[in-house]
Amino acid sequence: MDHILSILIFFPLLAGILGFVVDKGSAKAYGISVATVEFLLAMWLWMSFDNANAGMQFTEFAPIISQFGISYNLGVDGISLFIVIMATLITLLGIILLDESKIANMKNMIVSLLFLEMTMVGVFLSLDAIIFYMFWELSLVPMLYLIGAWGGPTRVYAAIKFFLYTFAGSLVMLVGLLAMAYLYHLEAGVWTFNLLDWYQLDLSTDLQFWLFLSLFAGFAIKVPMFPFHTWLPHAHGQAPTIGSVILAAVLLKMGTYGFVRFSLPLFPDASVSMIPFIMTLSLIMVVYTAMVAFAQKDMKQVIAYSSVSHMGVIMLGVFAMNAEGLGGSIFLMLSHGIVSGALFMLVGVIYERTGTKMMSEFGGLAQVMPIYATVFGVMLMASVGLPLTIGFVGEFLVLLGFYQVSPIGTIIAGLTIIIGAVYMLTLFKRTFFGPITNEKNRNLKDLDRRELTALLPLVAIVIWLGIYPKPVLGPIDNSVQKLLVEMEYKARTQEAKDMIISMKPEKEESDKEAK
Amino acid sequence: MIGVSHYLILSGLLFSIGFVGVLRRKNLLMLFFATEIMLNAVNIAFAAIGNYYGDLSGQMFAFFVIAVAASEVAVGLGLLIVLYKKYGSLDLEVIANMKG
Amino acid sequence: MESLVYIALFAPFVGSLFAGLFFARSPKSILVGVVNPALIGVSFLASVALAMHVAEFGAVHVTMMDWISMGGLNIPFGFLVDEVSVTMMLVVTLVSTVVHIYSNGYMDHDKSFNRFFAYLSAFVFSMMILVMSDNLAGLFIGWEGVGVCSWLLIGFWYHKEDKPFEENPSISPSWAANEAFIMNRIADLGMLVGIFLIYWNVGSLQYNVVFDALPNLADGLLVGIAIALFIGAMGKSAQFPLHTWLTDAMEGPTPVSALIHAATMVTAGVFLVIRMSPLYSMEAVSGVSMFIAALGTFVAFYAASMALIARDIKRIVALSTLSQLGYMFAAAGLGAYWIALFHLAAHAFFKALLFLGAGNVMHAMDDELDIFKMGGLRKVMMGSYIYMGIASIALAGLPFFAGFYSKDAIIETAFNEGTYLIWIMLVITAGMTAFYSFRQVFFSFHGEERWKPLGFNPHDMYKYVLVAMAPLAILAISFGWFMDGYKAFITKNLPAYEMSDHTHHIAWLLGALVVLFAVIGIWIAYRKYAGKGAMAWQRDEKVENSFIYKLLENQYYVPHAYDRFIVQPYIVASDKFWEWDNKIVDGTVDTIAKTIYDAGDKSRTMQTGNLSTYLNWMGAGALLLIVAAAISAVIG
Repeated sequence: MDHILSILIFFPLLAGILGFVVDKGSAKAYGISVATVEFLLAMWLWMSFDNANAGMQFTEFAPIISQFGISYNLGVDGISLFIVIMATLITLLGIILLDESKIANMKNMIVSLLFLEMTMVGVFLSLDAIIFYMFWELSLVPMLYLIGAWGGPTRVYAAIKFFLYTFAGSLVMLVGLLAMAYLYHLEAGVWTFNLLDWYQLDLSTDLQFWLFLSLFAGFAIKVPMFPFHTWLPHAHGQAPTIGSVILAAVLLKMGTYGFVRFSLPLFPDASVSMIPFIMTLSLIMVVYTAMVAFAQKDMKQVIAYSSVSHMGVIMLGVFAMNAEGLGGSIFLMLSHGIVSGALFMLVGVIYERTGTKMMSEFGGLAQVMPIYATVFGVMLMASVGLPLTIGFVGEFLVLLGFYQVSPIGTIIAGLTIIIGAVYMLTLFKRTFFGPITNEKNRNLKDLDRRELTALLPLVAIVIWLGIYPKPVLGPIDNSVQKLLVEMEYKARTQEAKDMIISMKPEKEESDKEAK
Repeated sequence: MIGVSHYLILSGLLFSIGFVGVLRRKNLLMLFFATEIMLNAVNIAFAAIGNYYGDLSGQMFAFFVIAVAASEVAVGLGLLIVLYKKYGSLDLEVIANMKG
Repeated sequence: MESLVYIALFAPFVGSLFAGLFFARSPKSILVGVVNPALIGVSFLASVALAMHVAEFGAVHVTMMDWISMGGLNIPFGFLVDEVSVTMMLVVTLVSTVVHIYSNGYMDHDKSFNRFFAYLSAFVFSMMILVMSDNLAGLFIGWEGVGVCSWLLIGFWYHKEDKPFEENPSISPSWAANEAFIMNRIADLGMLVGIFLIYWNVGSLQYNVVFDALPNLADGLLVGIAIALFIGAMGKSAQFPLHTWLTDAMEGPTPVSALIHAATMVTAGVFLVIRMSPLYSMEAVSGVSMFIAALGTFVAFYAASMALIARDIKRIVALSTLSQLGYMFAAAGLGAYWIALFHLAAHAFFKALLFLGAGNVMHAMDDELDIFKMGGLRKVMMGSYIYMGIASIALAGLPFFAGFYSKDAIIETAFNEGTYLIWIMLVITAGMTAFYSFRQVFFSFHGEERWKPLGFNPHDMYKYVLVAMAPLAILAISFGWFMDGYKAFITKNLPAYEMSDHTHHIAWLLGALVVLFAVIGIWIAYRKYAGKGAMAWQRDEKVENSFIYKLLENQYYVPHAYDRFIVQPYIVASDKFWEWDNKIVDGTVDTIAKTIYDAGDKSRTMQTGNLSTYLNWMGAGALLLIVAAAISAVIG
């Protein structure tokens, strides 16, 4: 298994191509088996992952266009490992949740999902800017298809908006990447798109600033940061359940991952000097979109806007410039993926039963669907960051880390635990509590076996990683600390060096002080 | 004495006639004629300048142009016949079906 | 000893899982009703054993495993059983055991019997984590855990519909549950800030490390930490202005009110202040401590004033809880931590008893809450009458009952500190306390049987339930007798608060004053509500229309103010933001897209399909290029 990463990326693609010849009736079974194998591969990757090694592992390298230094370059570290695992898991569970009787053209859907899985895994494993960009853009295609083909009434508008908006941003990002390669060429005399080589490049603060901005365009739209978030409610509103699940759980994480993988180590000075700007946007995201979420009438839109709000917290963590915040934000990416994925699944379940997502149509569902209400309740509590659920660990670490940057900012961001509870509890009360107001809901069936198979693993993870997050936090911690050390080393201005807290030496100092 | 400038003026005049023809004519066949006029105008200029500099490549180019023009006319006229059979006319207004 | 710690901690958890996983969907199961109380009982016995161990050998400290470890942060699941936490453990498990047994009777006819026990045991588990953790993050786990269990239990009858505020001030159980959760979250943010401050300045969240590091911290920082943590305590212990949720929380089943909203959870804030006593007793934060005492006194008086006229039997008890919490904070703020803890324990016993008695009345009266519809119940409910009487005497602080010792000590402390305003307020409040608790007792158990015309058929609670309540009654009477022994035990951990000689000399006078006020209160209540004669039972229209009565009846208009100045503006702002999001943010994007689209649409007319037009455009383009070339040639 030397080429485990290549296998991880291209197995879904090959299986997807093969999927065209699979019999229509067995398409879902085929999808499940492929996704299971893929998930097991990802788990195998974790098993053989060296927790003590903070650097890139399982690296693969093959030149493609050596004149321009474009190469097939893969690697995984603690930052990307778990996102990959989560992506494969969410795909698997999403496919399990698909209802064969409700979805036309199941085969096409399975094939698009497998193709999407390839691009998702590819993005997180690429270490070459061009390969990264390729997967990044390719991921738009199957998602465009998912929304456009299986979506709601205004699906075409939503799909095109999603595609063009994110595409426009990523073109600016491409310019930035090319400029980066050019600058490297100027400096070193050779062309390369190898990210690890780029890390070595020392840039003036001016250049850093402009390059940061160009990459920001691509990443921020994907995250999506305020005010570039408006494609998301449309996309979620129209996408089929599986589309929303993957979009929220994985695709959004590509943006924040980009910040961690590219912006921070490549432009440490610019990152530090941009903290006030990022903080302002993120705080607006956290508070403003949470309030917008409160105003929604449609369950799915509540969760869509809550995603934006939580992504704001993740962004704060990324720019906390210390291991607590940055590591917390990566853990929060995972937890938000799990929790928002599950919430979208849950909304999908009720939508399949009743054909509506409007809260006003519901009320008192806890009486007819107790298991559904329980699962929803667990996810709700994880979403509002209850300790001993997965949501708390990341949120706590991020807020803790960001406190070092700005206490006031942290208090404003901390409002998320209040207004997050406000909109989620309001949603829960309107939907599940009170008397049954709509007679149609009186005979709703509770979760069936298919839905439980998809949802219970997520419940288990929510609780497991809430109580014992160490197996995940350990590798993240290692890689994040390495990243911070590199950043501090590379930073030019003293201000940036002071801001970036790379732990190892600092810790010893504080230990000494304590003594 | 007729100098090179006279030839160039003639060439320019012919080219302009061809150019106006291309812009104004609505019949495909006439467009073809107009382009032929333009090509020949260029040929005259080539030949004249080639002679003026005592360089044969100008005249050689003219021959190339004549050869290419001839083959183009052969193909073009064939296409025109097909078009005529299809639409019963060579008027551009009639065969305009790529309207955006 | 380690295993005892784990037994004490996890027995309730096992009970919760047992009821939750195996019986969640099945109808009422006797097994759950037996096993769950038994497991809590086991936890209580383990706590007793631990208490004896602690008394003899000192604190037990165990570390189970790592929880969060990232960067410089390392939070273990560690548990500390020392004098303070073991007191809490005993109180929690004892009251919980009684309440569990009691619930067997009270929830007898409820179709979600098993679910109730799952929640209730989960609550006990969370509370145990809260008191036993050896670090602030662990405390926060329990802190939020009890919050969620409280949310689940307040909203236990979630199927009830929302009523307008005028009809039911708590609107509905689910509404009250959300209110409690959200209000607690506001305070939790303060607590988180306190935790962050401690972490970034101390580098650890372990109590012992933090306490060791406190003297090295700057004064301003200490004040910041103290304020932030106290904000957290204000939420859980429902101190003004975060108090409105507590009375609304009475929407939950009565055993829940007894356990969570009287005896245990609401005292968590007091516990936090006591736990952090090394911080709050520092010179630098004396201002904060004084504020705590002042706020506690204010709340004690404020809540008691509302209880004077309340008609809802549970609200009266809830308000008295609030008032007693104020007493505890007053003691803690004045530095008498062990007295606060002593009052906390005493209060837990008699208040739980009072609540359970009120629950008996409700059970007998088919969930009727209005004391105006009761009366003369002592004839049919002798057992409950005696219990309620005992609890009320203890609450009022008559001699030789538990409340007499603990409350008297607090009032004495206020006098001793020279904070006479606090002292006077507390003495007056003691009189009010006696008045409203006996008003309630007289209203429901004495006088004519007003329920008869209304068609109620009251009957006393099951015998075994009444027997199960006996330990609380015994402790409500006798807990105060152990005060000196307890002082010797607890002051190994907490600062011993000593009265000055002067106070000591006139202690009997102070005590007599408090008793005098209490007796006057009871006497007024008796004259007005239980006596025979023209005065009794007359509803005084003039009083009820007076401004003060209206003010008290509407809880000083605080819920109205919250609704008007916080909730409604928030809703309006949210709707506005949504509108802006659509119109401005999304509108801008759409405008850009539309501009590009329109540009294409306009230029589409160029594409006529007519070759001639294209050629014209080409000619124009060619000319343009030639002109441009010519110009550049001339300029260049």
